[in-house]
Order: sequence, then structure tokens, then C-alpha cells
Amino acid sequence: MEFFNEVIGLFSDFANPKKRVFLGYLGISLLIAFAWLIFYHKTNIRGAIARIFDRKIWFSGSAQTDYKIFLINRVFTGFISPLLLTQVAIATAIYMALVRSDLTLWGVYSDVSIGVVVGMFSVAMFVADDFTKYLMHRWMHKWPILWPIHKVHHAAETMTPMTVYRVHPLEGVLYATRSVMAQGPVIAVFYYFFGDSVNLYTIVGVNVIVFVFHVTGSNLRHSHVDIKYPAWIEHVFISPAQHQIHHSIAEEHYDKNFGAALAIWDWMFGSLHVSEGEADLEFGLTENEAHPSSDLYTAYIGPLKEMARVTASFWHRITLVVRRPRGTATARPQRAEGSSSS
Amino acid sequence: MMTRSLKLGTSVLVAALLSGAAFAESYGPYPITEKSYSGDKTNSVAYTGQVARNIMIDSLKKLAGQADGGANAEELKDTMMLYFARGNKEDLAIVSHKGKDGFPITQTMLNEISSGANLVGKTYGGLVPGWPGNKTGAEVVEHMIHHAAMSEGGVSNDLGYDWGQLIQKFLIGAVSYNQAVDNYLDEKMTADNKPNNKPYSDGAAYTGKEHSWDEAFGYFGAPAHALDLSAGDAYGISKKTAFDAGDANGDGTIDLKSEMTFGNAYYAADADKSGTDYLQTITAAFIEGRKVITAADGEALSEAELAQVQAYAATIEDEMTRVLAEATFKYAGSVYGDIEKIRADKNNISDELYRDYIKHWGELKGFAMALQTGRENLGGTAVRLNRLIGYGPPTKDESVVTGIDADGNFVKDGKMSWNAYQLNMLKVQDLLIKEFGVEARKNDGTENLANLIKVLDSDSGGAETD
Repeated sequence: MEFFNEVIGLFSDFANPKKRVFLGYLGISLLIAFAWLIFYHKTNIRGAIARIFDRKIWFSGSAQTDYKIFLINRVFTGFISPLLLTQVAIATAIYMALVRSDLTLWGVYSDVSIGVVVGMFSVAMFVADDFTKYLMHRWMHKWPILWPIHKVHHAAETMTPMTVYRVHPLEGVLYATRSVMAQGPVIAVFYYFFGDSVNLYTIVGVNVIVFVFHVTGSNLRHSHVDIKYPAWIEHVFISPAQHQIHHSIAEEHYDKNFGAALAIWDWMFGSLHVSEGEADLEFGLTENEAHPSSDLYTAYIGPLKEMARVTASFWHRITLVVRRPRGTATARPQRAEGSSSS
Repeated sequence: MMTRSLKLGTSVLVAALLSGAAFAESYGPYPITEKSYSGDKTNSVAYTGQVARNIMIDSLKKLAGQADGGANAEELKDTMMLYFARGNKEDLAIVSHKGKDGFPITQTMLNEISSGANLVGKTYGGLVPGWPGNKTGAEVVEHMIHHAAMSEGGVSNDLGYDWGQLIQKFLIGAVSYNQAVDNYLDEKMTADNKPNNKPYSDGAAYTGKEHSWDEAFGYFGAPAHALDLSAGDAYGISKKTAFDAGDANGDGTIDLKSEMTFGNAYYAADADKSGTDYLQTITAAFIEGRKVITAADGEALSEAELAQVQAYAATIEDEMTRVLAEATFKYAGSVYGDIEKIRADKNNISDELYRDYIKHWGELKGFAMALQTGRENLGGTAVRLNRLIGYGPPTKDESVVTGIDADGNFVKDGKMSWNAYQLNMLKVQDLLIKEFGVEARKNDGTENLANLIKVLDSDSGGAETD
């Protein structure tokens, strides 16, 4: 019986509306995919079924690795839960710092109607979360120490909604930490100004905005269904097609569309790439990254080794600078002048 | 204060846990070691005067409730003053601890416990900055009694005062806590004051040190068998809900002299219900300290023995101080919660809610003042505490007492918004955490924030990545 419960526990995310792979969201995504193929691509029903349930996608070596990583990572989720305690600590510390401060604004807006407070709070939580997701994602790609971790996710060569779980456990910890750091201050500041009125508009226990994100096909971001929006909308919201572009190995798609739900961050920071009807994108890593998509050892241990290498080489460069004899320091400007690469 | 006990504090705790686990020791009886004693007593423990004082403190609270809006003011004031400053001859009824069905109590009159003991002679003699009028502890109590007697049911709604609560809570500090930590455990635990090789007083069955230590334990107010009791039981005895736990000797009645939980010990147990261990730690330190004194067998304490006893005394002082801080914290939280409800409809405050609020404020103010009657001057902490709490709470129209005039009447010409005062309660709690390290933290004002976060359970894809 206990074993049975354990097994059910492994798949609890499918029954949790706070998770993207909640069966309800998957069902809706399925309907959206059908509608898209039938009405936009004019595919017949049989063709649409074949396209959506393509065995070559769902049972590819890459997808099988997704499933295995999903199961193995369940072991690591226990490491993330204590962060909730940290969030209480962060929020309380910021809140009490405001209380102690000379600001005399504590609770002064507590007469504001609850509807307005809850609306503003729901938006603020969503925006803080989405913006920090953008930032963290961008750093994952740009910082040499983080890329080895995130590479695990990008090694997927076929994409299904389960690919969202194809991440190194360290990435899960980093993302959860980010969430705590982003939401803790928002909660504290709102609580300082509005007191007990603060709450979220929720549907099935989920921030209503996050809920909308999920019921409009968030699961299709990791799929081969190329749903795109009109270009002006793609400047505001990331379409599934835009995220597929993010996974594309085409050179013009490098480091584009880091955003989660909102595209405005990419637009603001110059990494936006609206979809242009690209067909049959190739997903995965470029050849020089050499990362087998179906090897679990490489997925889990590889990043650690690579991070160690990056750190060692960084450290080596630092020590070179520190150990440089004094006399050579004065010679540096001359060398710099002569060097076109510096 | 903290550093003084640091070294032996831990060992006391360990001793407490060990003694608690192995067999629960009672405080006494202890043999007679005083060599000059020639009577037939066999137990050297005596703290009945302290029990009587703890009872008089609680009785004053009950008496305040008898005020009928002025008609009985003079008579009631006289009665209350008797309980505060009785002479040697008067016997008084115990009005605070009366037996009831299923909870019989041995004594009904104070002289069955101790005759002669009064409160006024033992009340904190220093200035009380938390109360208007530059008064000493005893003067503050007299001022409170004067107004209590004129009030309606012990409450002055227009001023925001619950006199019974103010008087009782302040005296828990100004008499019991102060006498324990600033007298018996302080100067009387030095070598030359009340030495162990002399009787406490001529003809006494106990030495100077034995009796001084016992008196301090009496003021703390724990039942002698406190190590046997859970926090809930020790608390329940005082609430008359835990008869079996209280009746240690099984004689079918609660002896106020050794089986009741009073004042400081009661609030230690109250905090302990939230996971702290004050009652056990303090009681164990009292027992261990008394054992060191008893073992000296009527000889003067050596330097090493004195140091041991002083270390236990320091632990007791630290812990008792924190208990008062915990109680202050708790009621600051209650006031915070009451104002939260008041603000929801501040033009329509129900009598019941306002009554709760005034009661809680009285407890808060009484304990905050009690906290300032210890051995150490709290300096800036006391100033901040008194300014945050003020002389009175915001009343229904947000006006507050700002002082008293030359006749001792209250001047109420200040304004304090509900909002600002509620914020002050948070700051009080913050200050108490910082200065006293309170741990039980009942009614924490940030509890709702923590609950909000738990409800949000913000893993709305928090760990989901793209």
C-alpha cells in the first residue's frame, strides 16, 4: 500500500493545478493543438492526430530521457520545499525593516478596496516572477558557469510538455530560489502598505494570470505545434512558436526569446525574435556542444564536471593576474596599446 | 545579565532535563541545618509570606471588579488598601483563590497561610517611568487603587484602563519579580549578607541563605512539585481545571502554600505551552541551588559554593525576565489583533470588542511596567517601550491619556490613530525579540504575513523553467 502511495506521489504534479502538466491544462492544450492544425494549417483530423501523437516525438530517445529525468528529479524536490520557510523569513525581515523605518506609511492604504489591492498584488506577483524568470534564464545562457546546467534542458531534440521537467536538479534549486527572492519582497511591501487585504485572485488555487497562461497552451511551448501570434502580440506575450525558436539550433535563433510568459523583457533588452512561420525547426545543441541527448550520466554529472572546469579556468586567470610581478604591472598599458584584441 | 549566566546556564538546563527525566524532585522538604535551632521542626523550607503576597496581588484584581461606578468607592478603596498595606493584626479573606466543586482549596483566610505579610513594604521603590506623575512603585499602585475604586466594574472605558489587570500585572513585577531577582537572589546571595552559618533571624529553623533562597522561590510562585507537571497542567492548576495534577500529596484539597501556580510561574507555564521551557528550567535551578546551600550543612558557603549558587540565581533572573518579556509580547499581539478588528469598522466598535481591547491593553501595560522593575535598569529599551505603549491606549475617538494633573486626575488631550498605535504594537514585539530573545512569541503580529505566504504557497511554477 505504501509503495502504491509512493508511486502515486511520483505523478502528483498531474493532479496539481499549480503545475503546468496538470491534466486539465494538458487536455486544453490538446484541444488548442487540434484547433490550430485543423483551422490554421488546414490539416485533416487524421493528419492532426498523427502529428500530435507522433511516435517519433513521444518515444524518441530524447523524450525517453525526459521521462527518466522527470522520475529521478522527484527525489530532489524535497530539497526545494524548505525554501518556503526561507520565503517567510525573507518577507518577514523586509516587512520588519519597513516597520522599523521612519516611513510613516504602514497600513495607510488599508482602506483601499480589497478588489484593487488583490488585483494589484496578483499582477505584481506575476510580473516579479516573470521578470526574474527572464533574467535567470538569460544568465543561464550567458554565464559560462550556468550554461552547463541549463544545457541539459537544451539537449532535448524532440519536445513534449514533459520536457519542462528535463532540467538538472541544480537548475530547479536556482529557479525556486529565484522565486523566493522575487516574491518575498513583493509580499512584504504589499503587506506593509495594505495589511491583511493582501491576497491573490486565484482560480483552482493558482494566481489567475498564471492560470490564464496555462489554459492558453503553456504546454505547447515544448512541442512541435508551432502556434504563433500576430507580431504585435508577440511583442507582449511569448507564443509557443517563439519558445520553439529559443530551442532552435539555427544560428539566427541563438540567445533569443528568454521570456517565460511576457515578451516585453526580450523586447526591452534586445533578445526578442518574433516568429516568421519557421517550419520544422531543429532542436537541441549544436555539434560543438557535443551532448548526447539520451545519456543520463552526462545529463547529471556532466554539468558538474564542466562547472568545475569553468571555475578552475576562471581561478587560473585570477591567480595569473594576482601573481603577476610588480614590475610588469607598469608595462601593461604599453602592451594594451599594442594589442588590437584587448 | 545574559553573560552572567552564560557559563552555568547550560549546565542548569542539562540538570533540569536529567532530573526531570529520572525522577521529578520537589522543592523541599529539606532538613534543618541551622545549628542554633532547638525546636522540633524537621523541614527548613518556609515561604508562606510570599504565597500570601502572591494571593494578595491576585485578590486586588478581583476586588477591583467590585467597583460600582462610585457608590462604593470609598469603602472599596479602603478594602483594597488593606490588601495592599495590611497591618500585623488584620486577617483577610482570600478572594482570588476560592475552592469550587471538584477543586477544593485548603485555605480561605490569609492568616491560615501567613499573618502580617503585606505588599506595600515590598513594592519596587524606584521611579516608574511608564506611569505618569514621577511615582515610585507603591505610589503607582495607590494611584491605581484610587481610580479603580471609582470605576465601573474595575474598568474606566473613557480612559482605556482595566484597573484589575494593571494592578495585578504590575505587582507581579513590582513585588514578586523584583523581590526575587533584585533582593533575595541578589544582595542576599553575597557572602556577608544573610550568611549560612547564622539563622535568618533569631531562633529561626533555617539559615540566612536557606531562607533567602526559599523566599525567592516563593515569589516565583511555582508549585513545589512543578518538575512533575506539564506546562498545561501547571497552567491548569491556576485555572482550577487540573485538580489531580495540583494535589501532589493526594489529600483531596489544593494547599495554596505548596500546590498552586502563581504569577510569574503561571506566565512561565503559559509561554511554555508554546514550546519554551521556562517553568522547568527555573524550578530546576531553584532546586539545584537549594541543594548546594543545604549541602553546606549550616556552615558559611565557600567561595566555590557561593559562585555556584550565584550562577543558578543568574539563570533564574534571566529566565524570569524573559517570561515577563514573553507576556508583554503576547499582549502586544492581542492589542494588535484587537485593533485589526476595530479598524474593520471603527465607527461602530462593539462593547465586547472594546472591553477585550482595554483588558488586553491593561495586561500589556502592566507587564511592560513589571519588566522595568528588575535588578538592571533597562535604559533605552525602557524608554522605547514606554513611548511605544504610552500612558494609555487610543480610546474610541482615538484620544489618549498624556499625563496626570496636580490632583492626580488623568489628562487626555492626545491623539493617536488606530493605525499608528497598531504599528507601535509591532514595534513593541520587534523590540522584545531583539532585547530579550523571546521565543514563545504568542500572538505574533507577523503571524498573518507568514500565514499569507503559506496560503499563497507560491510554487506557481516557481521551480518550472523554460
